[in-house]
Amino acid sequence: MIYELAGLRVAIHNRCKYTEKFCEKYLSADQTSPVDLEVAVTNEEFYEEKKQSEGFSDGYIENICLYRAICRKLPVLNRMLLHAAVLEYDGKGYAFLGRSGTGKSTHTGLWLKYLSGAKIVNGDKPILEYKNGGFIAYGTPWMGKEGLGYNTGVSLGGLCFLEQAKENEILRLTPAEAASRIFQQILLPQDEENAALTLELTDKLVTETPCYLLKCDISEKAVEKSFEALTGKQYKMERE
Amino acid sequence: MKIKNGFVVREVGGESVVVPVGEMSKNFHGMINLNETGAFLWKFFSVEHTVDEGVAALRAEYEVEESIARADVERFVETIKSSGFAE
Repeated sequence: MIYELAGLRVAIHNRCKYTEKFCEKYLSADQTSPVDLEVAVTNEEFYEEKKQSEGFSDGYIENICLYRAICRKLPVLNRMLLHAAVLEYDGKGYAFLGRSGTGKSTHTGLWLKYLSGAKIVNGDKPILEYKNGGFIAYGTPWMGKEGLGYNTGVSLGGLCFLEQAKENEILRLTPAEAASRIFQQILLPQDEENAALTLELTDKLVTETPCYLLKCDISEKAVEKSFEALTGKQYKMERE
Repeated sequence: MKIKNGFVVREVGGESVVVPVGEMSKNFHGMINLNETGAFLWKFFSVEHTVDEGVAALRAEYEVEESIARADVERFVETIKSSGFAE
């Protein structure tokens, strides 16, 4: 079936039904026009993933492989996968990054709790597109365990790396500091062209997007810090 | 000494990084960060050169003493060889 994903027409050749249900909100009304990208999973990839994801259904495993196959081909189309939770507020997107377990969903959950205008675009694996000198963050069906997100694209206003701490503090990162942290959160394709383009897109991402490090606990104060730095707005004025 | 093919070098956020591609990415996972000298030498040794040539090139570029340049080049070449990146 053909889906519309991150502004692209993507043909997905799946064998298990799982992916059709999973991607149904992204199904294209036009199943005949040419596509930008076409993916299927090879037996080799499937069995490799199955070894590492014991206990999961074949549909789930094929689905993981399909997204990876899509994402490996994105850089030539000016796009890349970012492992992050992207929130939308007042028309702008903000990406929160950190190793698994650092509290991305906790922190974004706090935004949702305290700011009625906040929405999750993609809770785990958004696609970014570089367009007209800026990045767009897209919702995709692949959005993490909590399944939070929706089919949209928002202009990316900032990146925020998270670290657990006792005191809340936000620091602006230099492009080099952001680069050293972001490598764990991107997918590096194995072919030369897409690998090189991934690095070039990542360079643009850390140089052209404001990047911060939030040292935070799980209090409202943490939201105030990240909100004010990222949006440039006063928290008190926006808080409901 | 010559560094094997199969690496991509780019500046990300002002720092040079090297990643393996193609066949190389199957044997080596990860990414190498290079400082300024490292980036210069990586480029230089992407073409077959001797240690002496590396020392001369480094001195021409950075105006450093021979002994310092030699120590840098030798350490670089040693790291490349021990990592299995030399042809």
